[in-house]
Amino acid sequence: MWSSNRFPGLWLLPALLPVVLMTLYPIGHALWTSLHEVMILLPGEPFVGLKNYQRVIGSNYFHAALRNSLVFTLIAAPSVVLLGTMIALFLRRRFLGSEVVRSVVLLPWVLPGAISAVLWVWVFHPSFGILNGILHDLGLIDASIPWLTNPQTALLAVAVAHVWTQIPFAVILLMAALSAINSETLEAAAIDCRNPLKRFRYIVFPEIKAMIVVLLVYNALTAFTSYDLVYAMTGGGPGTATTLLSFQIWRESFSMYDFGAGSAVAFIVVIISACLITAITRALPSDLFASD
Amino acid sequence: MKYRKLMAAMALASGFAAQPALAEDLTLEFVVWNYSLETIQDNVKQFEQANPGIKVKVTDYAWQDYNDSLILRIRGNTPTDVVYGGQDWLPAWGAAGFIAPLVSVAPKGTVEELSKDIAGFALTDVTYDGKVYGLPYYSDTISFIYNKKILADAGIAVPTTWEEVTAAAEKLKAGGMDKPIIYEYDQELPNFYDAFVAQSYGRGAQLFDAELNPLFADPENGAYKQLQWIADAYSKGLVQSDKHESTIIPAMNTGKHAFTIVYTYVLAALNDAATQPLAGQFALAPMPGETHATLGFAKSYVVTAKTAADPARAEAAWKFVNFMAGKPYTVAKRWAVEKGLGFGQLPLFEDKDVIAAWGKWADVGALGKQASIAKAGTYTEFSSVWSAYFRPLLAQAMVGEAPVDQVMKDGAQRWTELKEQFANR
Repeated sequence: MWSSNRFPGLWLLPALLPVVLMTLYPIGHALWTSLHEVMILLPGEPFVGLKNYQRVIGSNYFHAALRNSLVFTLIAAPSVVLLGTMIALFLRRRFLGSEVVRSVVLLPWVLPGAISAVLWVWVFHPSFGILNGILHDLGLIDASIPWLTNPQTALLAVAVAHVWTQIPFAVILLMAALSAINSETLEAAAIDCRNPLKRFRYIVFPEIKAMIVVLLVYNALTAFTSYDLVYAMTGGGPGTATTLLSFQIWRESFSMYDFGAGSAVAFIVVIISACLITAITRALPSDLFASD
Repeated sequence: MKYRKLMAAMALASGFAAQPALAEDLTLEFVVWNYSLETIQDNVKQFEQANPGIKVKVTDYAWQDYNDSLILRIRGNTPTDVVYGGQDWLPAWGAAGFIAPLVSVAPKGTVEELSKDIAGFALTDVTYDGKVYGLPYYSDTISFIYNKKILADAGIAVPTTWEEVTAAAEKLKAGGMDKPIIYEYDQELPNFYDAFVAQSYGRGAQLFDAELNPLFADPENGAYKQLQWIADAYSKGLVQSDKHESTIIPAMNTGKHAFTIVYTYVLAALNDAATQPLAGQFALAPMPGETHATLGFAKSYVVTAKTAADPARAEAAWKFVNFMAGKPYTVAKRWAVEKGLGFGQLPLFEDKDVIAAWGKWADVGALGKQASIAKAGTYTEFSSVWSAYFRPLLAQAMVGEAPVDQVMKDGAQRWTELKEQFANR
C-alpha cells in the first residue's frame, strides 16, 4: 500500500528537485567559481583556492562597501518596518477616499526599480529637483544641495528611495496581521485604556510581533543585497560613498569580467546575511521561530 | 461539394508548396543599445525593402547594460549576427573571438576602399590587431561647451586654458552662480573616463607610451595635472556633478551653469528650440589646454565570428553593414541630419544637407576643426576591465576621498598588472 511513511524521499522529490536545481546547484556553482580564476576574457579556469577572497577583502573598496552596506541596512530595514506599521495602522481606519489612498500607497511597489530610481534622481536633482525647490521656497536653504553627488548625503538619499520602494509590501503584510486581531479584544482594550500608545504596546504589538520580525529579517536581507537603485541612482559613487557589497558583486563580475572575484564577494554577502538573520531573530524573539 | 474539397486541397497543397520560399528568408539578429530605436527600426525596414529575402530582428539593451548583456548573449550562444560595437570593448571582443574582421565577410577590396573615407581616429577605433572589425555607425568628439549669454553678460572671454576656466568659474561664483561647471559623472559609464581623457588631450597629454606603459602617474603628465585640476575645482565648490547628459541638458537650460564637457551631439539637444528654453545660447569652444586636442571615438557595426563562419549569414550580414555604414552613406547622413550624430565618413563633411542641418545648432567650421585635431584613445584587450577599475578611483580623487598621487599610482599599477596577465594568457 502506498504511504508517505514508506517512501518519504520519493514523495518529497517533486519539492526537493526544484530546490536542488534552482538553489543548491547555483550556490554550488558560485562556490566553485569563487575558488577558480574565471575571467571571461582569458582562456582556462584554473583553481586558485582562496586567492579571490584575499583579493576582494584586500581591495581598496571592500571596507567602505562593507561599512556602507551595514549602515544602509541599519537605516533602511527599521525605517521600512516603522513607517510601514504607522501607515498600516492609519489605513485600517475608514475615511473618505480611504480605498483610493490604499491603492496609491501600493504604487511604489508596482514600479520597477529603474523607474523608481529615475523618479528619485529627478526629486534630488540640484538644478531642478523638487526637494531643493521646496527647501528653497521655505527659506531653509540658500544654495541647492547636491544630494546624490555629495559623499555626505548620497547614501542617505539612496536609502530614502529604497525605503519608499519597500514600504508597500510591509504595509500589506502588517494590514493582514492587524486584521487578524480579534475585534472584541480591540474593543475591550479601547474601553479599558484610553491611551492609544499603551493600547498599541500591550495589545496590538504582541499580536503583530511575529510579522514585524519577519519583515525586519526580510528588509534587512533586501537592503543588504540591494543593487538596482544604487546602480541607477549613483553608480556606487561619488567615490565609494554608496558602494555596497552587493553592488560590487555586479562590478567585479560584469564590469571587470572577473566572475571568480564576483562570486567571492557574493559568498561573503551570503555569510554576513546569515549572521544578520540570526542576530535579528535572537534580538527579537517571537513565536514564529519558537520550537514546540 | 467535391469542387470545394478540391479547391481546399489545392489551397493546402499550395500552402505547403509556398513553404520552401519562406524558408529561404534569412533573419539577421541585430543587437543595439536603445538610442533612437524608432530610427533604427525604420533604417532596418528600408534595408529589408532593398534586400528581399533578408529580414532583420532588432534587439535592444540599455546603454549602461549593453556590454554585459552582449557578452552574456554571445557566451550563452544566443544567435547574434550584427552588433553595435564600442571602441573600448572592440579589442576585448576581438581577443575573445566574439567578433570577426570585416574582410572575412566583405567582397575583396571593399573594406580597404571604404576605410579610405574614414576619419583617422575613427579608423583606429574600429581596428584591432591591424584588422578592421567595424564600419562607423556614429563617430564623435567630446566638447567643451559654454553658455554664450552668461559669459557675455559677465564680461568673460571664452576660456582657452583650464586655469582660465577656473578663473571664469570663480568670477561667476562670486557673482552669484553657485556651480558654474556641470560635470557628467557616472563612474559606471565609460563616458566618464572618455571625458577625462578628452580634457587631458586638451593639455597635450599622452597617457601611454608606444609599448603601452602608463605615463599618467608622472606629476608632469597632463592627465595628472587635469585630475588635480578637477579635484581643485570640486574642492572650491565650482562643480556640480550630474549623472547623465539627459539631465545635463535641462540643467544647463536652467541658466544656473555656464560650462560643461559632453559628447558633441549633446550641443544639438541643448540648442533645440522646440524643447529647450535657452536654445541658441550654447556653443562649443576648443578644448581648453595648450593643444586644444580632444578625444575622438567611433561606435560601429560589427559582425560576430559565428556569423562570419556561415557563408550565407556572412553575406547577408555584410549587405546589412554596408547598407548601414557604406557608400553612399545614406544612413550615416540620416543620423547626422535628423539627430545631430557625428560620423566617421569624411565625405559627409562636404554634404550640403549635413552642413545646413548642423548649422542650426553649431558652428560647423569649429566642429570640423575640432574633428581634425581629435585623437583616438588607447584601447587594448584589457582596457575596458582597467577602465572599470580606474573610474571609481578617478571619482575618489575628484570628491576628495583619495589623493591624486595615490589614485594615479594605483591606476598605473593595475594597468601594468593587467598588461602582464593578458600577455601571459
